[in-house]
Amino acid sequence: MTDESKLAPIRKGLLEFLVLKIVGAESMYVPDILRRLAGTEFNTQEGTLYPLLSKLRREDLVHYEWKESDVGPPRKYYRLTDSGRAQLTALDEYWNLINRTIAEIGH
Amino acid sequence: MQRISVTARLNRSTLQFEEAAYVRLESYLAEAARTLDGNPDKQEILGDLEQAVVDQCVRRLRPEQGPVTMAELEPALEEIGSVQVPGAASASEQSVRTAARPLQQVSEGAVVSGVCQGLARYFGLNVTALRVFAVLLLFVSGGGMILVYLALMLLMPYAPLVSGGRPLRWLPAKCRALMEFLRAKFSLATN
Repeated sequence: MTDESKLAPIRKGLLEFLVLKIVGAESMYVPDILRRLAGTEFNTQEGTLYPLLSKLRREDLVHYEWKESDVGPPRKYYRLTDSGRAQLTALDEYWNLINRTIAEIGH
Repeated sequence: MQRISVTARLNRSTLQFEEAAYVRLESYLAEAARTLDGNPDKQEILGDLEQAVVDQCVRRLRPEQGPVTMAELEPALEEIGSVQVPGAASASEQSVRTAARPLQQVSEGAVVSGVCQGLARYFGLNVTALRVFAVLLLFVSGGGMILVYLALMLLMPYAPLVSGGRPLRWLPAKCRALMEFLRAKFSLATN
């Protein structure tokens, strides 16, 4: 069993990437994003996601718009901005590069 | 028996809570507010979290139940989780980092022996500010500062050298060699 304390920081660092990917595919509100991550290694909670989304919004990577809901108050739907889209592309490429390096090194 | 219930205004909704649950909610939100101190979006995030609390509690309420009790609030807060600021180390990581940073002299980049660098690293201070302060003390204390420095030099163990790191300057290298010699001679505890 790998030491959990070594894996947790990896997941933590990648969460932002995954959130960008999720809202990059379609605009979503927070419970949808949580459901998308539930059952994966990146399962997370509102207490983590709201501060992260607010940081991403400050960095102009995502923005949200209010949408009316049938069952409650209006909801914030998050989606990527143009610079968020560019960042996601760059992260995707970097991730592929890292994967290749990991696969090749030590062989 | 009629229990006291409190009406809480949360984000854009109002919700009835039993008193104990209300107290618990207040302390959760106060803790969240503390964690978010200094965050420019503090109020907005707190509003989001309040809305999450409302949604999670309402989802758990039985029809016609009345005020929210601990039975709904506790699992709701459990699911929402405590506020984690992105980029900040969690408490457990912080304790690991502190534990991994004993009070040691740092020879690489030192001016004399690395006492100031070691103290700055240990207490999280700016090393330049600490050096300026030490030089001021040197003048004010009329030499007493030199004794303090020598004592620390002798007592503070040296941090292991970073392999492939910067080469030591002449004086830190001499200090380190001298201290290692003295410690061996007087068999002082070292590491």
